[in-house]
Amino acid sequence: MPTPLLELRNLSKSYQGRPVLANLSWTFRAGEFVAIMGDSGVGKSTLLNLIAGLDAPDPASTSSIIIDGVPMAGLDDDAATRLRRSRMGFIFQAFHVLPHLTLLQNVALPLLLNGLPVARAAEMLDAVGLGGRGDDFPHQLSGGEMQRVAIARALVHRPALVLADEPTGNLDPDTAHGILELLHREIKSTGACAIMVTHSHIAAEMTDKILQLSKCGIQETTIVKPFEQ
Amino acid sequence: MKHMHDTQHMPRPPARDWTVMAVMVLLAALVVASFASLPLKWRDFFTLDAVNSAAELLAGFAPPETATPFLVKTAWATLETMSMSALGTLLAVVAGLALALPASGRLGQTPRAAVRALLNVLRSIPELVWASILLIAAGLGPFGGTLALAAHTAGVLGRLFADALENAPPGPEATLRTNGASAAAAFLYATLPQTLPQMLSYTLYRWENNIRAAAILGVVGAGGLGQMLKYHLSLFQMQQAATVIIAMLVLVALVDAISYALRRALTR
Repeated sequence: MPTPLLELRNLSKSYQGRPVLANLSWTFRAGEFVAIMGDSGVGKSTLLNLIAGLDAPDPASTSSIIIDGVPMAGLDDDAATRLRRSRMGFIFQAFHVLPHLTLLQNVALPLLLNGLPVARAAEMLDAVGLGGRGDDFPHQLSGGEMQRVAIARALVHRPALVLADEPTGNLDPDTAHGILELLHREIKSTGACAIMVTHSHIAAEMTDKILQLSKCGIQETTIVKPFEQ
Repeated sequence: MKHMHDTQHMPRPPARDWTVMAVMVLLAALVVASFASLPLKWRDFFTLDAVNSAAELLAGFAPPETATPFLVKTAWATLETMSMSALGTLLAVVAGLALALPASGRLGQTPRAAVRALLNVLRSIPELVWASILLIAAGLGPFGGTLALAAHTAGVLGRLFADALENAPPGPEATLRTNGASAAAAFLYATLPQTLPQMLSYTLYRWENNIRAAAILGVVGAGGLGQMLKYHLSLFQMQQAATVIIAMLVLVALVDAISYALRRALTR
């Protein structure tokens, strides 16, 4: 069994006294592609923000988030920023590709931030089917193409953990299917663990595992995997 | 019947806003009161004597002075006016950008309010008043004029830059922060490049204004074409004054054209 990459222990988060997540525990392993589903307001995006260190669990709780053996609670803001920069990749529903940079520059950003050689940016663009378009700007792309750029940017620095928040929420079903196939393939080839928040059952069924988040906690549900059939 | 049905279900027109009418009436009353209270001697202005005097004055401007030494002197004054406006604008850009960061709320709400108040003060005082104050401190000549332009323009640009930063889409900077960029790097790579074309456009527009302002500032002793104009007009040397006015027109037209072309290129 692959080693645990991310451990959530008794994770609790409240906003203005209203509990959103309560005593959540789960272990995510390297190489897993996991979907998290649940009703609106149940805390899916909050969970991603907590994992990313963009938000902190309730201080009074015994919550802990451990990434690659490193407890997030022991990290100050700078150290959490460094951890995100080197070990995580992010994919957003609204793509958030920087409009004033070329596609190649967008994909190269995580490499630049990590002080790594930028040559891999062109390889990643090639891998997501946008080879030869490195000098184009985001306004020249369709939504699906922009999400391909976002995936390349999220994976280019070989992060151990990829967090995706509704990555196909703004795409038509055919484009969404293509994007998820691409994401699945790239994650398997890099050996990263990917956690995808989604409302779409079709999207969820293309992952290895579906977790249902509810007021009662988190639990795995059985799924059909048409993608692997 | 169908038509009748549609009419019955048509949305009611919005209620008439009487405050707008009241403001319009008030404005009209103010305009009438302004004409009534000022001693505007329109009748005297259109008398035959007045027209003859004006024609005599205008005839005195022709032909403009074209002696080489005077043209060289005018060219130097033109350069001085342009330098004042360019340097004043440049100083204002630096100060405006430095003040725009706190004024855009990046350092919290209290610094935002304090710096916005300072920017209001800077831009509420016209260049001529700044020049009158600064010429006492810095002495006669282009230095005081340059500082006067910089002080007023810093207030204007600081406010415009701050608004541009506040209105920039937050997504790109947030994306970079999420991806592990430092706050400074996220600002420099995301928000600043997004707002830069707008800031450059504002700067060029203010430079256009400052060229005109620099010409006027010379009248209060801040050097350049304005000072030359005041000197020759006060000695009733109308032909020399005409040359200076033509130089002003050419300079303003030239800078307007350059600025317009650059702004078009930036905002395309």
